[in-house]
Amino acid sequence: MTIEKGNETIVRDLAEAVRVHDERALHELFDDALTSGITAPEVRRALIGGLEEVRQNLMSNNASIPDFLLSLDRVTEGLGRLSRFRGYDRNSVEDTTVVIGVVEGDPHDLGKNVIAGIYRAYGYRVFDLGREVSQEAFVKATVRESAEILALSAMMSTTMVVMRDIIGEVRAKSPGTLVIVGGAPLNEVLALSYGADGYAESALTVLEETERLMAGS
Amino acid sequence: MSKGSAGLLLKNLLKGRVPPPGLIPEALLNGFADISSARSHLSGLTNIERLITTFCHREPDHVPCFPMISGAGRRLTGVSYSEFSLKPEAAAEALLAGFDLIGGEAVVPMLDLSIEAADWGQTMVYPEHSTPHPDYADPLIRDVDGYERLKRIDFKKADRMQAMLETCRILVRKVGWKGLVSGFAFGPLGVLNMMRGANQLFRDCVNYPAKVLKAIEVITEVAIEYVEAQCDTGVQAVALDTLFASWNGLSKELWEKIEGPFARELANAVRRRGCIVVVHNCGDGVYFDSQIRFMEPEVISFARLPDDCRDRKELKQKYGDQVVLMGYVDTPLLSYGTPHDVMEECRRQIEDLADGGGFILAPGCEFPPNGPLENALAVVKAAEIYG
Repeated sequence: MTIEKGNETIVRDLAEAVRVHDERALHELFDDALTSGITAPEVRRALIGGLEEVRQNLMSNNASIPDFLLSLDRVTEGLGRLSRFRGYDRNSVEDTTVVIGVVEGDPHDLGKNVIAGIYRAYGYRVFDLGREVSQEAFVKATVRESAEILALSAMMSTTMVVMRDIIGEVRAKSPGTLVIVGGAPLNEVLALSYGADGYAESALTVLEETERLMAGS
Repeated sequence: MSKGSAGLLLKNLLKGRVPPPGLIPEALLNGFADISSARSHLSGLTNIERLITTFCHREPDHVPCFPMISGAGRRLTGVSYSEFSLKPEAAAEALLAGFDLIGGEAVVPMLDLSIEAADWGQTMVYPEHSTPHPDYADPLIRDVDGYERLKRIDFKKADRMQAMLETCRILVRKVGWKGLVSGFAFGPLGVLNMMRGANQLFRDCVNYPAKVLKAIEVITEVAIEYVEAQCDTGVQAVALDTLFASWNGLSKELWEKIEGPFARELANAVRRRGCIVVVHNCGDGVYFDSQIRFMEPEVISFARLPDDCRDRKELKQKYGDQVVLMGYVDTPLLSYGTPHDVMEECRRQIEDLADGGGFILAPGCEFPPNGPLENALAVVKAAEIYG
């Protein structure tokens, strides 16, 4: 009973450490968690719980992008250490493959990095192609990985136009892949006119949009 | 009115230039605006009359319009983006071509956001048909200690800033009394972003604010010289881009700590020269209240609603008396909407924001450099018809 309560406290504190992006506290809590016998799924749930709180706060404008980035860093570090916990099974969580990148000519990758981090944190298998990615590279990776999701980002009105061609070729070569686009110069109307299945208005709404598409609605 | 202001005013008039409005006594400006507003019922106003009436929050004959043709202007004169960014004559010619063909009341040389960073030594990329940008794989500030290593640069030897000044000089000379010319400078945090990258800078602002502030101080010293020199070219306004004072940047509290005091110094430098302070912020949820408190701008150019307004009626009610509102036609609409769609959106914005003056119709950000120019014409036409 005492141990269970201790575990509950550790799990709660792990979530809190993610929420306030406290690196030192997180490291200490990981050591505590390892000796207390907490399982990998429990640790994952704690990390995601903390991040989810920041994400919700950011969506209601009660947190800032730097806060979210730092919390995401903590989750990324935490997930990297998950294999040390009992009950760890990589394949049990990473069941949906996402290929992600910023289109050719566009060097702005903050939004893409956040989205890639969110996908990873929430259990997606992510292939991050980086920034200034060619059409050929997007198509090749999508086909090779049999990606369920292709996420394209563009932050400049001069570069977003290539999305239409990328989507067209992905449709032809990987018809089962769902395409989500996002970036400052886009809106939903434009995204759909390019042939995308979905539009992520911000990095924060990408999860809901992905889940909506995956559910076929 | 001080002797110095009177001298500067006279100097501008003798050179055939519109003097910076801040040099003119407020009572005189208001009187001029009253007369112009009354006269607008009988006949059309000149561009300058229309602007002054708007700046004084009186109703002109129709709302003024800044179509913000910058990079798009290069397509009118057939120059590459790199020529446009690097050669003052090519930039001025393209901007003037946009002003002459598209119309509107002002020219703003928003060449690109990397001018200052390039002069600090940031490696740049100059694409043929897209906006220049830093080589983010080779940031000037590679680690947190890099902030403190940033040393002041000699502004007189800063090639790109000097080219911007020359562009302003040409524009002022050629635009004359046909319209207003505004300078443009990126806020110190924006400049730093170009040398560090947003991914790291955001984290550093939280984890190492003291180090970031050291760099901001150094950048601001040079930025003050830069905006003062812009004012001295004869421009009537200077737009200061403070993107990070929005949901896309820092929290309000952090912005007020990291950039706010320095943005205030820049705005004061512009105001001391008699020029109009324009805040340009194309972020989402812009912190109007913070920027007004720190920078006291005459105009805020925005792309999205402020963080504390649910709709544009509330925006007008809350801030319409404090600043001239400038905006805010959406970039995707300008890129891919029909001219009819653009005009309809402009009509709706004019209906909500133009009442009582103090509104300039404009894109929320630079007109898309490769966007259809008929949509820029649609914005100008909408101001004339519905304004």
